[in-house]
Amino acid sequence: MILLKLAWRNIFRNKRRTILSGIAIGIGLASLIFTDALMIGMIESMIRAATGTFLGQAQIHAGGFRETFEVEKTIHDLDNVIRQLSSDAAVKHYAVRTQAFGMISSPANVSSIIFYGIDPAMEKHISKIDEAIQKGSYLAKDTTRRLLIGSRLAETMEVDLDDRVVITTAQATTGQLSQEMFRIGGIFHFNVKEMDSGVVFMHLEKARSILALENDAHEISVTFHNTDQNADQFLSFRERYSQGGNEALGWRDLLKELDALLNLSDFTKYIIALILFGIVALIILNTLFTSLYERLFEFGVLRAIGTRPSGMAYIVLLEALSLSAVSGLFGICIGLIVTYTFSIYGIDYRGIEFAEVTFRELIYPVMTVHQYIEYPLWIMLFALVAGLYPALFAARLVPAGVLRRSM
Amino acid sequence: MQNKNAELIKAIDVSKQYRSGEIMVDALNSVSLTIKRGEFTAIAGPSGSGKTTLLYMISGLDIPSSGTVILDGKPVSAMSGREQSDFRRDHIGFIFQSYNLIPVLTVRENIEYIMLLQRVPEGERRLRVSEILEEVSLGGMENRLPTQLSGGQQQRVAVARAMVSRPDIILADEPTANLDSHTGESLIEMMRQLNERRGMTFVFSTHETMIMERAKRLVLLKDGQIEKDEIRSQGPGVRD
Repeated sequence: MILLKLAWRNIFRNKRRTILSGIAIGIGLASLIFTDALMIGMIESMIRAATGTFLGQAQIHAGGFRETFEVEKTIHDLDNVIRQLSSDAAVKHYAVRTQAFGMISSPANVSSIIFYGIDPAMEKHISKIDEAIQKGSYLAKDTTRRLLIGSRLAETMEVDLDDRVVITTAQATTGQLSQEMFRIGGIFHFNVKEMDSGVVFMHLEKARSILALENDAHEISVTFHNTDQNADQFLSFRERYSQGGNEALGWRDLLKELDALLNLSDFTKYIIALILFGIVALIILNTLFTSLYERLFEFGVLRAIGTRPSGMAYIVLLEALSLSAVSGLFGICIGLIVTYTFSIYGIDYRGIEFAEVTFRELIYPVMTVHQYIEYPLWIMLFALVAGLYPALFAARLVPAGVLRRSM
Repeated sequence: MQNKNAELIKAIDVSKQYRSGEIMVDALNSVSLTIKRGEFTAIAGPSGSGKTTLLYMISGLDIPSSGTVILDGKPVSAMSGREQSDFRRDHIGFIFQSYNLIPVLTVRENIEYIMLLQRVPEGERRLRVSEILEEVSLGGMENRLPTQLSGGQQQRVAVARAMVSRPDIILADEPTANLDSHTGESLIEMMRQLNERRGMTFVFSTHETMIMERAKRLVLLKDGQIEKDEIRSQGPGVRD
């Protein structure tokens, strides 16, 4: 107890040094807390942008469809799957779609596209197509001969609202070409290059008719009541719907690049943490050694009057611990204030595209308990590790040597 | 270390060389000395004569280059660092030239420190601190920090710290060097009285004539060798 008291009071002997070290360590910790919170916020925003725009949280396809996109590979036993989804308590919304490659031609140009047949009512709950309409209007019930076209594609095709375009595609089973003329009903802008330059949306029934699919579909997009992107629901969903030749996948399986990025973000966070902890360790090492050299005679006296070598080491380690505790407290306060402020007002990254995902909303750092417990504990652990060398140095001091040297 | 008149510390043919920059210094040269219980011994000599080195040798703070120092019947060289620390904690009290109290601890905590290392129960600690503070005329100052005391008062606390653990011997390295003559004289007088009343053994280094005159035994060092070792006939506390 006396050693703890001694260590605690010692760190306040040179207040300026302790304050400077504390600020440096505290700012390091606060940066780590903020970075972590920002990354969580950014990832959540990216996931929301990726899944909320059009993808959904999970999808069902016929097995092998995603590899070949063959028109005839439609979802097996669609009615039964829809019945299951309708009665599934975990499922919030779903939307049935067709998906096929085709050509779009206007008087000015021709371009390859992916065209989706969508149910406008269902789709409103799943995707943000209606919100992305820049010109014109979303698909209405009585507008089956109208389609929605991406803004970049409209530029390429040199078309505008009400202009005519022709969609050409291969029909299911027979493979015969099918052509249909449409008018531009709306121009959407997702700020996602692939969507804006190569995608067209039309009514589901019209798409089925072009593709000769009767009542079949290629894709069902699903959202869940539980918005936790890492919840177990994906596993159970996959198991439940990957049956009868169908394949059910969560967004992580569908967006491999984003998944890889998320894994990389964890790794990046550890690297940042390691660098910061390393800097903290160096600050503590420097502070302890400076303090130790200033008090060499005092350490000699403590040894002379009977403090064991281990006691000397304890004093230094307790000083490291005390310094990191004070700095940690400071860092927690700063981290809390900064992170809380930005979690209220957000950070504007809107319009910036990263890993094929465009930020569509403000990023709000997310505060978690682990940031305020785990990181300060790591700082203390690193402080202890950093304190080992000066502690060993103090334990090995030859009393007569330091007493003589200091006189 | 229970027998009266027993040998507390014995240095046999002790020599010490240490490096000072590029130069090897012969601090002690074949010094033999025995300290017995109840002695009031002054180790005197000019600066650089080896007084402090001899004190460090006989307290186990330093290891001789050659020769043997025997503490409690055991050679220092055969003791581990921990054993040496425990021996100093339990048997030796130190008073340093420049007080060397721990500045962040109060007077009470400075005095209690060794007893805490010895795991003396709290009640006894408090009692002993109060008694010793009265004895060194510092009653009521237990909660002050060393910086709030005068030099003489700080040295009294240092004496109290050295005495409170009831060591067999107190080693003092020029205890009056930083004090004015009046304060120094009263400090030596206090130590002498403790020696007389409690039979506490004192060994102190000095180059001041006034202190030498108060010693029962005078060991005179010159160039790292004992030039004179005499038991003074007039007894402690009696001036020539």
